[in-house]
Amino acid sequence: MVPLSHILTVGIGLFAIGLFGALSRRNAIGILMAIELLLNAAALNLVAFNAYLGPGAPPALGQTVALFVIGIAAAGAIVGLALILAVYRQQRTIAADEIHLLKG
Amino acid sequence: MTHAGFLTFAHALSTVGFYLLAGVTWCAALQVTLTRNLFHSALWLAVTLLGVAGLYLYLGAEFLAVVQVLIYVGAILVLLIFGVMLTARIADPAVPALNRQALLAALAALGVGWALRLAVRQASALPAGPVAAVPLATLGHGLVTTYLLPFEVLSLILVGALVGAIVIAHPERRR
Repeated sequence: MVPLSHILTVGIGLFAIGLFGALSRRNAIGILMAIELLLNAAALNLVAFNAYLGPGAPPALGQTVALFVIGIAAAGAIVGLALILAVYRQQRTIAADEIHLLKG
Repeated sequence: MTHAGFLTFAHALSTVGFYLLAGVTWCAALQVTLTRNLFHSALWLAVTLLGVAGLYLYLGAEFLAVVQVLIYVGAILVLLIFGVMLTARIADPAVPALNRQALLAALAALGVGWALRLAVRQASALPAGPVAAVPLATLGHGLVTTYLLPFEVLSLILVGALVGAIVIAHPERRR
Protein backbone atom coordinates (compact mmCIF):
# COMPACT_ATOMS: atom_id res chain seq x y z
CA MET A 1 0.00 0.00 0.00
CA VAL A 2 1.13 3.56 -0.59
CA PRO A 3 2.01 5.65 2.47
CA LEU A 4 -0.83 7.53 4.16
CA SER A 5 0.66 10.93 3.33
CA HIS A 6 0.25 10.26 -0.40
CA ILE A 7 -3.45 9.53 0.00
CA LEU A 8 -3.83 12.66 2.12
CA THR A 9 -2.09 14.60 -0.64
CA VAL A 10 -4.65 13.34 -3.15
CA GLY A 11 -7.36 14.62 -0.82
CA ILE A 12 -5.59 17.97 -0.44
CA GLY A 13 -5.35 18.36 -4.22
CA LEU A 14 -9.06 17.60 -4.64
CA PHE A 15 -9.84 20.10 -1.86
CA ALA A 16 -7.75 22.85 -3.46
CA ILE A 17 -9.34 22.28 -6.88
CA GLY A 18 -12.81 22.33 -5.31
CA LEU A 19 -11.98 25.52 -3.40
CA PHE A 20 -10.81 27.20 -6.59
CA GLY A 21 -14.01 26.16 -8.35
CA ALA A 22 -16.25 27.33 -5.52
CA LEU A 23 -14.55 30.74 -5.46
CA SER A 24 -14.23 31.33 -9.20
CA ARG A 25 -17.25 29.78 -10.93
CA ARG A 26 -19.88 32.21 -12.14
CA ASN A 27 -22.69 29.71 -12.49
CA ALA A 28 -24.39 28.75 -9.22
CA ILE A 29 -24.68 25.10 -10.27
CA GLY A 30 -20.94 25.12 -11.01
CA ILE A 31 -20.36 26.34 -7.46
CA LEU A 32 -22.56 23.50 -6.18
CA MET A 33 -20.44 20.98 -8.14
CA ALA A 34 -17.26 22.44 -6.66
CA ILE A 35 -18.73 22.08 -3.16
CA GLU A 36 -19.39 18.41 -3.91
CA LEU A 37 -15.67 18.13 -4.76
CA LEU A 38 -14.78 19.66 -1.38
CA LEU A 39 -17.01 17.20 0.48
CA ASN A 40 -15.52 14.30 -1.49
CA ALA A 41 -12.00 15.35 -0.55
CA ALA A 42 -12.94 15.40 3.13
CA ALA A 43 -14.64 11.99 2.93
CA LEU A 44 -11.62 10.54 1.13
CA ASN A 45 -9.35 11.65 3.98
CA LEU A 46 -11.71 10.15 6.55
CA VAL A 47 -11.70 6.79 4.79
CA ALA A 48 -7.91 6.91 4.47
CA PHE A 49 -7.47 7.51 8.20
CA ASN A 50 -9.93 4.69 8.86
CA ALA A 51 -7.83 2.30 6.80
CA TYR A 52 -4.50 3.28 8.37
CA LEU A 53 -5.18 4.00 12.05
CA GLY A 54 -4.24 1.26 14.48
CA PRO A 55 -6.33 -0.91 16.77
CA GLY A 56 -6.60 1.85 19.39
CA ALA A 57 -9.07 3.77 17.24
CA PRO A 58 -12.77 2.86 17.28
CA PRO A 59 -13.46 0.50 14.38
CA ALA A 60 -15.18 1.91 11.29
CA LEU A 61 -15.49 5.42 12.75
CA GLY A 62 -13.98 7.04 9.66
CA GLN A 63 -16.18 5.09 7.27
CA THR A 64 -19.28 5.91 9.33
CA VAL A 65 -18.50 9.63 9.28
CA ALA A 66 -17.80 9.41 5.53
CA LEU A 67 -21.28 7.88 5.10
CA PHE A 68 -22.75 10.81 7.02
CA VAL A 69 -20.79 13.21 4.82
CA ILE A 70 -22.34 11.65 1.72
CA GLY A 71 -25.81 11.94 3.26
CA ILE A 72 -25.30 15.59 4.21
CA ALA A 73 -23.97 16.27 0.71
CA ALA A 74 -27.20 14.86 -0.73
CA ALA A 75 -29.30 17.09 1.51
CA GLY A 76 -27.17 20.11 0.59
CA ALA A 77 -27.47 19.44 -3.12
CA ILE A 78 -31.25 19.12 -2.88
CA VAL A 79 -31.74 22.40 -1.02
CA GLY A 80 -29.13 24.21 -3.12
CA LEU A 81 -30.81 23.21 -6.36
CA ALA A 82 -34.23 24.21 -5.06
CA LEU A 83 -32.85 27.64 -4.14
CA ILE A 84 -31.21 27.98 -7.56
CA LEU A 85 -34.47 27.10 -9.29
CA ALA A 86 -36.37 29.64 -7.18
CA VAL A 87 -33.80 32.35 -7.95
CA TYR A 88 -33.88 31.48 -11.66
CA ARG A 89 -37.65 31.84 -11.72
CA GLN A 90 -37.37 35.34 -10.20
CA GLN A 91 -34.23 36.68 -11.88
CA ARG A 92 -33.94 34.68 -15.13
CA THR A 93 -30.25 34.13 -14.38
CA ILE A 94 -28.18 31.96 -12.05
CA ALA A 95 -24.83 33.70 -12.55
CA ALA A 96 -23.68 34.35 -9.01
CA ASP A 97 -22.31 37.82 -9.80
CA GLU A 98 -25.50 38.97 -11.52
CA ILE A 99 -27.69 38.28 -8.49
CA HIS A 100 -27.34 41.41 -6.36
CA LEU A 101 -30.82 42.06 -5.01
CA LEU A 102 -29.47 43.03 -1.61
CA LYS A 103 -26.72 45.30 -2.91
CA GLY A 104 -27.32 48.92 -1.87
CA MET B 1 5.77 -17.39 -11.24
CA THR B 2 5.96 -18.35 -7.58
CA HIS B 3 3.23 -17.42 -5.17
CA ALA B 4 5.37 -14.80 -3.37
CA GLY B 5 6.46 -13.37 -6.70
CA PHE B 6 2.85 -13.13 -7.81
CA LEU B 7 1.92 -11.31 -4.60
CA THR B 8 4.73 -8.79 -5.14
CA PHE B 9 3.58 -8.32 -8.73
CA ALA B 10 -0.04 -7.75 -7.69
CA HIS B 11 1.13 -5.32 -5.01
CA ALA B 12 3.14 -3.28 -7.50
CA LEU B 13 0.23 -3.32 -9.91
CA SER B 14 -2.20 -2.00 -7.28
CA THR B 15 0.27 0.74 -6.32
CA VAL B 16 0.56 1.84 -9.95
CA GLY B 17 -3.22 1.68 -10.18
CA PHE B 18 -3.54 3.95 -7.17
CA TYR B 19 -1.38 6.69 -8.69
CA LEU B 20 -3.14 6.36 -12.05
CA LEU B 21 -6.52 6.66 -10.36
CA ALA B 22 -5.36 9.66 -8.33
CA GLY B 23 -4.10 11.37 -11.50
CA VAL B 24 -7.33 10.72 -13.37
CA THR B 25 -9.34 12.04 -10.42
CA TRP B 26 -7.29 15.23 -10.25
CA CYS B 27 -7.47 15.89 -14.00
CA ALA B 28 -11.23 15.29 -14.03
CA ALA B 29 -11.68 17.60 -11.03
CA LEU B 30 -9.71 20.32 -12.83
CA GLN B 31 -11.94 19.86 -15.86
CA VAL B 32 -15.01 20.24 -13.62
CA THR B 33 -13.87 23.67 -12.53
CA LEU B 34 -12.45 24.89 -15.84
CA THR B 35 -14.81 23.61 -18.54
CA ARG B 36 -17.00 26.33 -20.01
CA ASN B 37 -19.93 24.07 -20.87
CA LEU B 38 -21.71 23.23 -17.62
CA PHE B 39 -23.09 19.94 -18.94
CA HIS B 40 -19.58 18.75 -19.78
CA SER B 41 -18.61 19.89 -16.32
CA ALA B 42 -21.24 17.56 -14.87
CA LEU B 43 -19.91 14.65 -16.94
CA TRP B 44 -16.36 15.33 -15.69
CA LEU B 45 -17.80 15.40 -12.17
CA ALA B 46 -19.05 11.85 -12.81
CA VAL B 47 -15.50 10.80 -13.73
CA THR B 48 -14.16 12.43 -10.56
CA LEU B 49 -16.75 10.73 -8.36
CA LEU B 50 -16.06 7.35 -9.94
CA GLY B 51 -12.34 7.94 -9.37
CA VAL B 52 -12.95 8.63 -5.70
CA ALA B 53 -15.05 5.45 -5.57
CA GLY B 54 -12.07 3.57 -7.00
CA LEU B 55 -9.84 5.08 -4.30
CA TYR B 56 -12.35 3.86 -1.70
CA LEU B 57 -12.02 0.38 -3.19
CA TYR B 58 -8.23 0.65 -2.92
CA LEU B 59 -8.59 1.63 0.75
CA GLY B 60 -10.73 -1.45 1.44
CA ALA B 61 -14.04 0.41 1.84
CA GLU B 62 -16.17 -1.55 -0.62
CA PHE B 63 -19.48 -0.50 0.89
CA LEU B 64 -18.59 3.17 0.68
CA ALA B 65 -17.55 2.73 -2.94
CA VAL B 66 -20.98 1.29 -3.74
CA VAL B 67 -22.71 4.06 -1.78
CA GLN B 68 -20.62 6.65 -3.62
CA VAL B 69 -21.67 5.29 -7.00
CA LEU B 70 -25.32 4.89 -6.00
CA ILE B 71 -25.87 8.20 -4.23
CA TYR B 72 -23.39 10.55 -5.90
CA VAL B 73 -23.35 9.31 -9.48
CA GLY B 74 -26.85 7.89 -9.38
CA ALA B 75 -28.74 10.59 -7.52
CA ILE B 76 -26.88 13.85 -6.87
CA LEU B 77 -25.33 14.03 -10.32
CA VAL B 78 -28.65 13.37 -12.05
CA LEU B 79 -30.16 16.11 -9.91
CA LEU B 80 -27.37 18.50 -10.91
CA ILE B 81 -27.86 17.68 -14.60
CA PHE B 82 -31.58 18.38 -14.19
CA GLY B 83 -30.67 21.73 -12.71
CA VAL B 84 -28.32 22.48 -15.61
CA MET B 85 -30.98 21.58 -18.15
CA LEU B 86 -33.64 23.67 -16.43
CA THR B 87 -31.71 26.85 -15.88
CA ALA B 88 -28.38 27.45 -17.55
CA ARG B 89 -27.52 28.80 -20.95
CA ILE B 90 -25.10 25.89 -21.15
CA ALA B 91 -23.57 26.25 -24.59
CA ASP B 92 -23.45 30.05 -24.79
CA PRO B 93 -19.86 30.96 -25.66
CA ALA B 94 -20.45 34.63 -24.79
CA VAL B 95 -20.93 33.76 -21.13
CA PRO B 96 -17.57 33.47 -19.33
CA ALA B 97 -17.26 30.48 -17.01
CA LEU B 98 -15.14 32.18 -14.37
CA ASN B 99 -15.69 35.46 -12.59
CA ARG B 100 -13.27 38.37 -12.29
CA GLN B 101 -11.62 37.11 -9.12
CA ALA B 102 -10.48 33.83 -10.70
CA LEU B 103 -6.80 34.67 -10.28
CA LEU B 104 -7.30 35.56 -6.63
CA ALA B 105 -9.27 32.34 -6.15
CA ALA B 106 -6.46 30.30 -7.70
CA LEU B 107 -3.95 31.96 -5.35
CA ALA B 108 -6.18 31.25 -2.34
CA ALA B 109 -6.66 27.61 -3.35
CA LEU B 110 -2.91 27.15 -3.89
CA GLY B 111 -2.21 28.76 -0.52
CA VAL B 112 -4.66 26.53 1.33
CA GLY B 113 -3.35 23.44 -0.48
CA TRP B 114 0.25 24.37 0.35
CA ALA B 115 -0.60 24.94 4.02
CA LEU B 116 -2.42 21.60 4.29
CA ARG B 117 0.44 19.80 2.56
CA LEU B 118 2.85 21.40 5.02
CA ALA B 119 0.68 20.18 7.90
CA VAL B 120 0.77 16.60 6.54
CA ARG B 121 4.52 16.82 6.03
CA GLN B 122 5.07 18.00 9.60
CA ALA B 123 2.78 15.45 11.22
CA SER B 124 5.14 13.59 13.52
CA ALA B 125 3.95 10.01 13.41
CA LEU B 126 1.75 9.03 10.49
CA PRO B 127 1.03 5.30 10.65
CA ALA B 128 3.11 3.49 8.08
CA GLY B 129 0.97 0.58 7.02
CA PRO B 130 -2.74 -0.15 6.78
CA VAL B 131 -4.57 -2.35 9.22
CA ALA B 132 -7.00 -5.08 8.24
CA ALA B 133 -10.02 -3.92 6.23
CA VAL B 134 -13.13 -3.11 8.25
CA PRO B 135 -15.75 -5.83 7.83
CA LEU B 136 -19.13 -4.60 6.66
CA ALA B 137 -20.80 -6.12 9.73
CA THR B 138 -18.78 -3.79 11.99
CA LEU B 139 -19.94 -0.77 10.02
CA GLY B 140 -23.57 -1.85 10.13
CA HIS B 141 -23.41 -2.77 13.81
CA GLY B 142 -21.95 0.63 14.64
CA LEU B 143 -24.74 2.39 12.76
CA VAL B 144 -27.45 0.82 14.93
CA THR B 145 -25.62 0.98 18.27
CA THR B 146 -22.90 3.57 18.86
CA TYR B 147 -23.86 5.96 16.06
CA LEU B 148 -27.63 5.46 16.28
CA LEU B 149 -28.36 9.07 17.26
CA PRO B 150 -26.41 10.73 14.42
CA PHE B 151 -27.93 8.20 12.04
CA GLU B 152 -31.46 9.16 13.05
CA VAL B 153 -30.60 12.87 13.02
CA LEU B 154 -29.31 12.42 9.47
CA SER B 155 -32.60 10.88 8.38
CA LEU B 156 -34.43 13.83 9.97
CA ILE B 157 -32.16 16.24 8.10
CA LEU B 158 -32.89 14.43 4.83
CA VAL B 159 -36.66 14.61 5.37
CA GLY B 160 -36.38 18.28 6.31
CA ALA B 161 -34.28 18.98 3.22
CA LEU B 162 -36.81 17.20 0.99
CA VAL B 163 -39.79 19.09 2.39
CA GLY B 164 -37.88 22.36 2.33
CA ALA B 165 -36.80 21.85 -1.26
CA ILE B 166 -40.37 21.18 -2.34
CA VAL B 167 -41.61 24.30 -0.53
CA ILE B 168 -38.86 26.50 -1.99
CA ALA B 169 -39.01 25.24 -5.56
CA HIS B 170 -42.80 25.02 -5.77
CA PRO B 171 -44.14 27.56 -8.27
CA GLU B 172 -46.23 30.31 -6.68
CA ARG B 173 -49.90 30.07 -7.36
CA ARG B 174 -51.55 32.80 -9.35
CA ARG B 175 -53.83 34.81 -7.14
